[in-house]
Amino acid sequence: MTRLLFPLSRIEGHAQVAIEVQEGEVLSAQFQATELRGFEYLVQDAPADQMPVVTPRICGVCSTAHHVAAVKALEDAYEITPPPLALKIRELLMLGQLLQNQATSLFIFTMPDRLGVSSIFQLASDAVTTDKSERQLTEVATRALQVRQAGTHLISTAGGQFIHPVKAVVGGVTGGIPAQQAAEMRAELEAALPIACELFDYYWEISIAMGERLGTWGDDAPACYLSAIAGRQPNFYGNQMYVLSSSGDACSMFPARDFRKYLTYEATEYSYAGHTSFQGEVIRANSLARINVLHDMGTPAANRYLKRFTEAFGQPAHAILLFDLARGIELVYAIERAIEILSEPLDEGDPAVPHTPQDGEGFGLVEAPRGPLIHHYTIEDGKIAHAEFIIPTVHNMLAIERALRVAAERYIDAERVNMELERAVGRVVRAFDPCIACATH
Amino acid sequence: MKNFAVLQLSGCAGCEVSLLNADAWVDQYNLAYMPLVTSVHDVPEVDLLLVSGGVRTDEDLYKLRHAVQRAGEVVAVGTCAISGGVANLGDRDEVRELFIAQARRRHVPHLLPKSHPIDAFVEVDRYLPGCPPMSHLFMMVLTGETEKTLARTVCQDCGRKKLRDVRPEHLVGFQTGKVDPDICLINQGYLCIGSSTRGGCGAPCTRAGHPCVGCRGPSDAFIEKESAVWMKSIARVFKGMTDIPEEEIQTGLRSPQLALFLFQFSDYADDKATIRPKEKVL
Repeated sequence: MTRLLFPLSRIEGHAQVAIEVQEGEVLSAQFQATELRGFEYLVQDAPADQMPVVTPRICGVCSTAHHVAAVKALEDAYEITPPPLALKIRELLMLGQLLQNQATSLFIFTMPDRLGVSSIFQLASDAVTTDKSERQLTEVATRALQVRQAGTHLISTAGGQFIHPVKAVVGGVTGGIPAQQAAEMRAELEAALPIACELFDYYWEISIAMGERLGTWGDDAPACYLSAIAGRQPNFYGNQMYVLSSSGDACSMFPARDFRKYLTYEATEYSYAGHTSFQGEVIRANSLARINVLHDMGTPAANRYLKRFTEAFGQPAHAILLFDLARGIELVYAIERAIEILSEPLDEGDPAVPHTPQDGEGFGLVEAPRGPLIHHYTIEDGKIAHAEFIIPTVHNMLAIERALRVAAERYIDAERVNMELERAVGRVVRAFDPCIACATH
Repeated sequence: MKNFAVLQLSGCAGCEVSLLNADAWVDQYNLAYMPLVTSVHDVPEVDLLLVSGGVRTDEDLYKLRHAVQRAGEVVAVGTCAISGGVANLGDRDEVRELFIAQARRRHVPHLLPKSHPIDAFVEVDRYLPGCPPMSHLFMMVLTGETEKTLARTVCQDCGRKKLRDVRPEHLVGFQTGKVDPDICLINQGYLCIGSSTRGGCGAPCTRAGHPCVGCRGPSDAFIEKESAVWMKSIARVFKGMTDIPEEEIQTGLRSPQLALFLFQFSDYADDKATIRPKEKVL
C-alpha cells in the first residue's frame, strides 16, 4: 500500500490530505486537521460575559461570526431581545464578514489555481510569468485587496476593529454609526461594487476555461445542503437551521437548540476535527448550500448573477467548483445589501436594552461565510460550565473527503499517479474553503 | 527587493489577516512564504521572518527551529508567539489533564504538554505585540522603522474625556451595553486598563466603547518589570479616579480571561516571568 501525503496551502489553518492507494485502487482519502488549541476546555470557568471578547480568538478570519454568535448565545440564555438598531449593526457586521471572506477565498485562495501561479502576491519567482502577466497579476492583487478591504473597513465601522471586533454586546451594541461615518463607508462600498463585479466576471471566465481544460468541475454527486438562512432571501444574521435533502425536494427546518437531533457528530483518529452527517448522509455547507435554496438575493446585481448561475448550472447544482462561483454572487450581494443598510439612519434609537445576567443554557446561531455556526453555553454562577462550538467546516468534512476520493480515482490508475492530482487536491479543498482554526478550535 | 516570510504556528491567523490589510507592502516586498496565501511548502532564505502563533505541537517546534536558521531577523508577532496567548488558558492544571487526554490522536502532530512562546526555544530579535497587531504596525516592522513615534499608552491614543467629578462606586459588567461616546470608560465604571497598556494601536476598542483588555501588553514603563508592578499601577489609577473598592478591581483583573491579556508578557501560566527588553518591542 502507498500513502500519499499532500501539504495544503491557501486555506485557513493547518491541514493535510492523505490518500491511500493499492495497485491503482484508492483505499481512502482523508482530510487531516493538524492543529488544536482546545477552546471548549480553556473557556471553562470563564466569566460568561467575556465570551464575546474571548471566542473571536478562535479564528482571525471568522472572528466576526464568533463575536456575534457569542453575544446571541448569551442573549438566548438571559432571555433578552436586542433593539432594532443593534440588529442592523450586527447584520452589517455579518455582511462585512461575508464580503471580506468571499473576497479572500475568491481572489487570494482560489484565483491562483485558475491562473497557474502559486500566489497572487508571487511576482518574480513564478516561472510562467512574463513581464506583462506579472503586471496584470499585481493589478489583480491590488484590486482584489481593495475589494477585500471594503469588507474589513465595514467590520471596523460596525464592530470597532476588523479582527476580533468589540461593538456587539449583550443586549445590543455599544453604539450606532454616526451619519458622516456611514456616508464614507457607503461611498467606499459604492466604489468597490463595480470593481468586485469586474473581478468576478474575470473569475467566472477563467473558471469556465479551467473547467474545460480539466474536463471536470469535480465531485457532482448530490448531497444534503445545510444553512441557517431559512426564507427566500438571504439573511446572515441566522434564524433557523435549514436542510435541503439530497433529492432536492424535501426540506427540514429546526432551531439551533435541536441540532443534535438532526446532525450526528463523530470524532476521528486521524484528525483534530471530526465530521458530521445528516441522517446518515453527506452534508454540504457554505456558499453552494445557500445559493441552492435561494430564489431571490434581494439586490439587483446579485440577482443577475444568480440568474446567470441557475441558467448555466441548474438549481440545486452539485459540482464542487461551483462553490467558488456561488461565493462571487454573495460577494456582490454583501456589498449591495450593506449599501442599503448604510443608507438608513444608524444613530437613532437605543443601541442596547438593559439586562440582568442569569444562569441557564444558550444557543447562538449565525450564518457564517462557511455555513451555520452555533455557540452553545451552559452558565452556572455566571461562569461557563460547558461550552460547545458547532463549526460549519466540520459539517463539510465528509463532503470534502468524498470529493477528494473522486479526484483521486480520476488521477490514479494501476500504471501511475498523474501529477495533476496534487493540484486537484488543492482545488477540491479550496472549493470548500475550510477553516481549520475553527474546525478544531 | 527585501524578502520576507511568515511562519504560522498554532494560532488563529488573525495576525496574517491583519498583515494582508497592510497592502502597501505588495509591490515593495517579496512575500516568499506564507501558507495562508502562497503555495510554497518550505521556508526559503529570507531577510525577515515573522512568526505568529504559539508552540503547541511537536510540528510547531520542528518548523520553528528549521525556519529561524534561514532567516536574517526573527520577529515574534502577536500575543500567541510572544507569550503563548489564548492557548495558555488551557494550561491551567484543572483543564490541562482532561484536555490532553481528550486530544490524543494517532496520525497527527502530537500536542506538547503545554503551550510555549517562541522565545522559549529560539532567539527573537524583535517583538510586535497585539491581538492582532494593527496593520500599520506591520508596515513599521517591514520598513525597519525604529524611531518610536507611537503613543506610549492606549490612554494617550484614546481621546475620551476624563472627568474629575464623576466617581463610580462599583464596576459595571463587562457587557452592559449603553456607553457614553465621549467620556473615559473608567469614569463610566468599566474595567479599562488602557492607562498602562502599550499604545500605538490607535485605541480602536475604547473608541468603539469597549474597555481595553491590554492585548498590546504593558507599556515601556512596565514591560521590564514583574506583572505585580503593572497590576499595582492599574489599581492606583482606579483609586485616583473612582471609589470602587480595591478588592473589586483585583477580582476583575484576575478573572482568567482578562488575565490572559493582562499577563501576556509575564507568561501567565508560568511562575517565572520572562522579561523582554523594551528596545526590542514595537
